[in-house]
Amino acid sequence: MDDDTKRIITINHGPQQTKFVSNRISTSKYSILSFLPKFLFEQFRKYSNIFFLCIAVLQQIPGVSPTGRYTTAVPLSIILCCAAIKEIIEDVKRHFQDGAVNKRRVLIYRSGNWLYTTWQRVKVGDIVKVLDNEFFPADLVLLSSGEPHSICYIQTSNLDGETNLKVRQGLPQTAHMISSVQLRDLLGVIECELPNRNLYDFAGTLKLNNVAFPIPLGSDQILLRGSQLKNTAWIYGLVIYSGHDTKLMMNSSSVPFKRTNVEQVTNSQILFLLVLLLILCLFSTIAGEIWNYRNKAAHWYLGLTRLTDDKTANSIPNHFGYTFLTFFILFNNLIPISLQITIDLVKFIQAYFINWDIDMYDPETDTPASARTSNLNEELGQVKYIFSDKTGTLTKNVMIFKQCTISGIMYGSGNVAEFNSYELLKNLEYHTSSKQIREFLTLLATCHTVVPENKLNTDSFNDVAYQASSPDEYALVTAVKEMGVVFFRRTPDSVVISFRGQEETYEILNVLEFSSERKRMSVIVRSPNNEIKLYCKGADSVIMERLVADEPNVPLTMEHLESFAKDGLRTLCLAYRTLTDQEYKEWLVRHREASTAINNRNELVAEVAERIERNLILLGATGIEDKLQDQVPDSLSMLLKAGIKIWVLTGDKKETAVNIGYSCKLLSDQLLNLTLDEATLDDTQRQLREHCQTFGDSLRKENLASLIIEGKTLKYALSPSCRQDFLDLAISCKTVICCRVSPKQKAEVVELVKQSTNEITLAVGDGANDVGMIQTAHVGVGIMGREGVQAACASDYTIGQFRFLTKLLFVHGVWSYRRLCKVLLYSFYKNICLYVMELWFAFHNGFSGQILFERWTIAIYNVLFTAAPPMALGLLDRCCSAETMMRFPAIYKMSQNRSDFNIKVFWSWCLNAVYHSIILYFMSYAMLRHDVAYSNGQAGDYLLLGNMIYTYVIFVVCLKAGLESDSWTMLTHIAIWGSIASWFVFFIIYSNIWPTIPLAPEMRGMAKYVFSSMYFWFGLILIPITALLADFIYNCLQRTLYKTLMQEVQEKEVANQDPYDLVMARQTSTVSRVAERLALLKSVFVRTRTPKMSGIIPGPYHGFAFSQEEDGVVPQNQLIRTYDTNIQKPPGL
Amino acid sequence: MSNQPTSKDDQEEQKSKKPADTAFKQQRLPAWQPIITADTALPVFLIIGLLFIPIGIVLVVTSERVLEYDLDYTEGNCMSTTVSNTTCAKVLQNGGSSCTCDIPINLDQPFTGKVYFYYGLVNYYQNHRRYVKSRDDNQLLGKTDAVSKDCQPFQKSVNGSDYTPCGAIANSKFNDSLTLVFNGSQTVPLLNTGIAWTTDKDVKFKNPNNASTYFQNNPPPPNWKYTAWDLDKNNSDNNGYKNEDFIVWMRTAAMPAFRKLYRRLNTNSSQTFQGGLPQGNYTLKVQYNYPVINFSGRKQFIISTTSWMGGKNPFLGWAYIVVGIVCMIAFVVFFILHKTWKLQNRPPT
Repeated sequence: MDDDTKRIITINHGPQQTKFVSNRISTSKYSILSFLPKFLFEQFRKYSNIFFLCIAVLQQIPGVSPTGRYTTAVPLSIILCCAAIKEIIEDVKRHFQDGAVNKRRVLIYRSGNWLYTTWQRVKVGDIVKVLDNEFFPADLVLLSSGEPHSICYIQTSNLDGETNLKVRQGLPQTAHMISSVQLRDLLGVIECELPNRNLYDFAGTLKLNNVAFPIPLGSDQILLRGSQLKNTAWIYGLVIYSGHDTKLMMNSSSVPFKRTNVEQVTNSQILFLLVLLLILCLFSTIAGEIWNYRNKAAHWYLGLTRLTDDKTANSIPNHFGYTFLTFFILFNNLIPISLQITIDLVKFIQAYFINWDIDMYDPETDTPASARTSNLNEELGQVKYIFSDKTGTLTKNVMIFKQCTISGIMYGSGNVAEFNSYELLKNLEYHTSSKQIREFLTLLATCHTVVPENKLNTDSFNDVAYQASSPDEYALVTAVKEMGVVFFRRTPDSVVISFRGQEETYEILNVLEFSSERKRMSVIVRSPNNEIKLYCKGADSVIMERLVADEPNVPLTMEHLESFAKDGLRTLCLAYRTLTDQEYKEWLVRHREASTAINNRNELVAEVAERIERNLILLGATGIEDKLQDQVPDSLSMLLKAGIKIWVLTGDKKETAVNIGYSCKLLSDQLLNLTLDEATLDDTQRQLREHCQTFGDSLRKENLASLIIEGKTLKYALSPSCRQDFLDLAISCKTVICCRVSPKQKAEVVELVKQSTNEITLAVGDGANDVGMIQTAHVGVGIMGREGVQAACASDYTIGQFRFLTKLLFVHGVWSYRRLCKVLLYSFYKNICLYVMELWFAFHNGFSGQILFERWTIAIYNVLFTAAPPMALGLLDRCCSAETMMRFPAIYKMSQNRSDFNIKVFWSWCLNAVYHSIILYFMSYAMLRHDVAYSNGQAGDYLLLGNMIYTYVIFVVCLKAGLESDSWTMLTHIAIWGSIASWFVFFIIYSNIWPTIPLAPEMRGMAKYVFSSMYFWFGLILIPITALLADFIYNCLQRTLYKTLMQEVQEKEVANQDPYDLVMARQTSTVSRVAERLALLKSVFVRTRTPKMSGIIPGPYHGFAFSQEEDGVVPQNQLIRTYDTNIQKPPGL
Repeated sequence: MSNQPTSKDDQEEQKSKKPADTAFKQQRLPAWQPIITADTALPVFLIIGLLFIPIGIVLVVTSERVLEYDLDYTEGNCMSTTVSNTTCAKVLQNGGSSCTCDIPINLDQPFTGKVYFYYGLVNYYQNHRRYVKSRDDNQLLGKTDAVSKDCQPFQKSVNGSDYTPCGAIANSKFNDSLTLVFNGSQTVPLLNTGIAWTTDKDVKFKNPNNASTYFQNNPPPPNWKYTAWDLDKNNSDNNGYKNEDFIVWMRTAAMPAFRKLYRRLNTNSSQTFQGGLPQGNYTLKVQYNYPVINFSGRKQFIISTTSWMGGKNPFLGWAYIVVGIVCMIAFVVFFILHKTWKLQNRPPT
């Protein structure tokens, strides 16, 4: 046996021979032991921390540092401590969440007993019992189930996003094991492939001790972790892959590290700043060396020539090096040491604001929004493309019978939540179309693959529940049950219904299966009055072709279909015909031949079916609502208004996708609707070219157009030769709908847009099939509803409902973006403003590297005196109220184009800082140029000047934060005034500690002398105001001359006026421009193309859609024949 | 990270996860939204303008009232009294250790009130890093432990004992002596105390125990011709490290051109100088010890009165006036802008 290529699992044989990973999953980053090394490793991978560590080390060289030995090490340690606390808080959270999953309970069978245990204790080789609606704790092999033939239904929408339930069937050899006694006798070995991430394939063999030959196991027997048992009372399963070996976990591993645009700009600017720093150091060093060379001997009092035992005095190159290091240490803080931690903390708390938002709390599922990473908050404010999954994200995956039309009479209304059957039932009694209504209802109750179940075994029809793999059929059967036509019993060859109290048995003669090609399903039944009837339901396009000539109700029905479709309902046409015995017999012979044919059986059967499905009599049509999540159309229209382009990527078929497009109002007749559905590369290429050419000048601009593309076409469209055309076309459209796309394609589409448009993309989804795109997009949002949370695990943000996306983007995104930009700019500003002053001072001290301030006062500049204002900017600043931003999505466009943070803005802030430092330094210098600062004739010293300037700097820097704040809350006041006060308190204390504490002798008495100088106080009024005057005037000019929309709205808000007119006025011009372009385009498209070739959805749209598992493990025909609801199901145990 | 939602029947946590509805968590803290528009900025400009211009005028006037007499005695006007036709600077350069010169001063108006005398040094880098660092504050506290390496290259003498005081700053203490004679005969009475910061005098500078023997047994800095205990033999409280000339020198100046308080006029000792320095002719008698020519330094003698602000410096006053005027201009410009802008944006009637 070769253990390297396969996994061998013994069944009921004590411990496994090989040790497999436990079922415990861990997504946390640290354990107690690994914390310190791992944390330090993580921290010192950041360039900034390495940089400051180097500075701290360099400071240890004696005689080099102008600021003492520990003035970088101490702030750096403080900052690392803050980071450590943050990491610990985050990781503890992860530990708790892991614990919640690991501690879920499951029933397992071990050494002859059933016992409850936690998920984490489940081992490979265990037999587990999973009940209806429960999730599978690991990857299992299905042994047996509570349904006949060990069939079970599972919902895999988490994994692959498909709407319909899937059928899995255990092996016949194990199907009988429905009690513990039988399970005990199950002895053998399973050999299977090693864990891999392929969701759809599985290969293994089961070798049972009492069966001579090995039995193959395939994906039909596999139940994957992450999927859910549905409509099945219970199953027994054998664990084959556990924990991180499960296909789910294999797929969700390797969460990519996402770096935000703002971060990238910051990093590149830091590098640039570093270069500038080096240039500055080089310049200062050279200047210092020249000064030294010329003045060393002459300035005897410095004693420079006598410095013999000092390394720095030796050879010139050596000396040069040391001087350079001195300046490097002196200027290092031009790069803000606290930047990383400030940003981390700000984002961290911003993320909490997202979690705390009560408007994004979903009471139904008790889910608050949750930011799983705080890294990407600001990207939420710049989203240009949203890629959305359909099922579970836009729709609830619940189908409801909403409307129908029978013999040209419409029943039900699109406006009410539930179908009102009063009219229909009245007409059933008295109307001329009574017969048709009866047939209509009978058809719905008989022509399907649904299995009824009465769990309580009562006679009451209320207790009848249905199992269906097709949600459409479920909706229809349930709807007719409500109208008193109850389908309550299925035997292998009959369906028993109660037609308004009267029991009727329909013998099922034949089932003509549904397939996407046929777009219809028929059953041939023998009715209680011994008539043979064919009931058929399907797409309007296929039913209408097969009607008897001159069917009178066709025009009206079509009209009704159109109206259903416009509301986004899924429509099915219903028709029937009565067959004579003769006719049926003849057909049956052919049918038998076809279904026993060896070659091309499927085609032959379809061909034979074709022969009998004709001359149908139209009964009417149904309209089923694919229930949307709450407020989806509104949310989408808001997102569109915000200039965001919406792409719906779904694994579902085109019909369903288009349907949802209409019901979400993404598609409408006001838009130019284009489709791409070519089946070859060449055709795709040609169609793309044509579309692009027709767009002409409007290509890559905002158009009122939509594009629908099929998965197979998408494959070609994504190929290198078509890529560019496809992209051009797609980004010319407001909405794009991609149908039948695989998870991989979803990711590819996102990647394409992300790579080539350079815009921020957001992917939102709820299933495992969305994981790829969620991880690929700049921002991944997972919908965390009542179903699984695979997507949520891979996502950056999770929300309970799609509609919360608007608040997440419009409010949290915009706020976070604007705040973060301010924090970044401000952090650079405040450091440059203070530290560039050392350069000005260098001109006055012979480039000797002397600092103007006391070393510790500048060392804690970033961690104390100016730590709070950036936090206030980053957490409390509000440009507009949340309500306003939700009301006017147009405001979002402002932050989309990255106007708040780019290279220009960055350097203008840096220049602003330099300007401030010049004002601060040179005005203070001029003020104290004659040294005599007291009426008693006494003079000051360098540090008196330094401390005065430092105080002015604190004022300017803190007030600048205030100037940049759009709103001052109580906490903002505390942050700004508190920071200033903290300096005064520190200054007073620090000036009085020498010699009690052997620290800062040069500071002794400083506070007293600074405060007793009138120059200081007059300077304090004048100098900060002068520095900020330019900013004030600039802000004022900008507000007066080039007001932005945001600012106008702000003003209205402050003045308590409604900004509605204003926003509308700004919008109308663009709207009308786009509308003009649409009209032009439509005319071009209509003129230049024949409808067939145009790729425009031809004619009126009728909304056919139907979901059914095709080519499943159990064919529909067989599924129907399997059940006999007269027989009691085994209880398990 | 949870991988599946916790199913409803889980025993733990049935508590709702609904976030708390507090103003902070919902980011609804009441806030003041200052919006800088022409509307709100106009009064600001006006107020600053109206406030700053008068303040500026007051400050300029205050500064103008301060009388100051500056005398550069580095070279030409300080001719040696012993060697003919030679400046004291030259004498020092030629290896002379000391030199005296007399320089006539004519005050054409009386300096009333308190009068202060300063020496000024130009192109003198007391703010050089190596210089600023070269001191030991523990030594100056009177501690007699070995001094810090910071004092290099004036840490210890050749025989290994620490300089008292050590360091480049102490070593280079200004040692010209300047006396002023009124009308050729009457020496102007000067006070050499009350010129240092009180905190320095009271806290930072202390003599060691047994100061006289201590200073006797340890070498003074190489440039000193006497020990620290000889700085003011008449006043033991002004001697040693507590000598105020020394303390003043030890406060290193911010700029390469600086002045330090040298003496105060003693208004109590004589009738003539009770109200200040009378108008008339004076002679400055310089004992010229301090070499500055090598590094192109300048030495100044300054007589000055003070205002409530301090010495003469009109900069602050003028800065107030300029900023005030800028604000007034801004006020006018924005007023015009505001009016025209309002006209342009008036909704059509």
